[in-house]
Amino acid sequence: MSERSAARRLMGVWALLMLLLALTVGSAFLPLGVGNTLLSLLIAAAKASLVVAFYMHLRTGSAPLRLIASTGLLWLLLLIMLTLADTLTRPSVSAPW
Amino acid sequence: MKDPTPTTRIRNVATSESEVRDPLRRQEHAAALGMWLFLATETLFVGALFAAYLLVRITHPQGFILGSRETDIVLGTLNTAVLLTSSLTMALAVDRQRVDMTRAASRWLMITAVLGLIFLGIKGLEYTLDWRHGLVPGLHFEPVGGQARGMELFFFLYFMMTGVHALHLFLGIGLVGAFAAMLQRGRLGAGNPAPIENLGLYWHFVDVVWIFLFPLLYLVHRT
Repeated sequence: MSERSAARRLMGVWALLMLLLALTVGSAFLPLGVGNTLLSLLIAAAKASLVVAFYMHLRTGSAPLRLIASTGLLWLLLLIMLTLADTLTRPSVSAPW
Repeated sequence: MKDPTPTTRIRNVATSESEVRDPLRRQEHAAALGMWLFLATETLFVGALFAAYLLVRITHPQGFILGSRETDIVLGTLNTAVLLTSSLTMALAVDRQRVDMTRAASRWLMITAVLGLIFLGIKGLEYTLDWRHGLVPGLHFEPVGGQARGMELFFFLYFMMTGVHALHLFLGIGLVGAFAAMLQRGRLGAGNPAPIENLGLYWHFVDVVWIFLFPLLYLVHRT
């Protein structure tokens, strides 16, 4: 790949990121209920994927590199799941004294 | 006939043959691996705050809606655009350093640092406005309407999350500035892209954290 096209690709990703930003701000003013949160998180995930794949070069990264990178997400999921499993399933009982 | 020598097996794991043969490329790979491992721990650092956010949002949904409406969506959107643009200039710096154009790389790094400072400036302006509107829990908190408890928790998380993010960005700006100066003085010459690449990974990570903070804090429920 030539030098020129590499820089152009980075700028193309930036244009996409800006488009997604406009989309997420615009969608926030549509009355979608729970859909607002889901849509904005979906767009955030798309933006993050673009940054991680193209700017952080994970698209061309090796298998071990991708594995290490994804462990962060895995532990984060465990952290959130176990926190919610504990706090949302137990009633809060005030101390007897 | 297949060749079951250890070399073949290593090749299957590593990216390419060149990486196995070329010790410099292997070193770069190890450096990126270490950086990603550090970023995984950073994910958990900010992840604890995201978990707290999720929990409090589930228990105080109304307070989060009202709290989010008090945030400044214009400044927030502008800041997101500034930070996304700084990721582009950082990626361009890494790209230039890869082809040994250290001068251009240094210039892009300086632009990146300036964009980072603009972000912090806008964030400071936002904090000032938040203070004036009485939205700072513990120090100056006078919310309008009901849901005071939920709003207080929302703004506590708002300041904690944006504060931790701003601290990371502040450190990033210092590092970017230092590396720009090193490139300028020729102390980090051509043929050595790994340090700038890892700096870029850190910068983009801070950007990704903001990408998720923006909808969670500014866009909860605007209609």
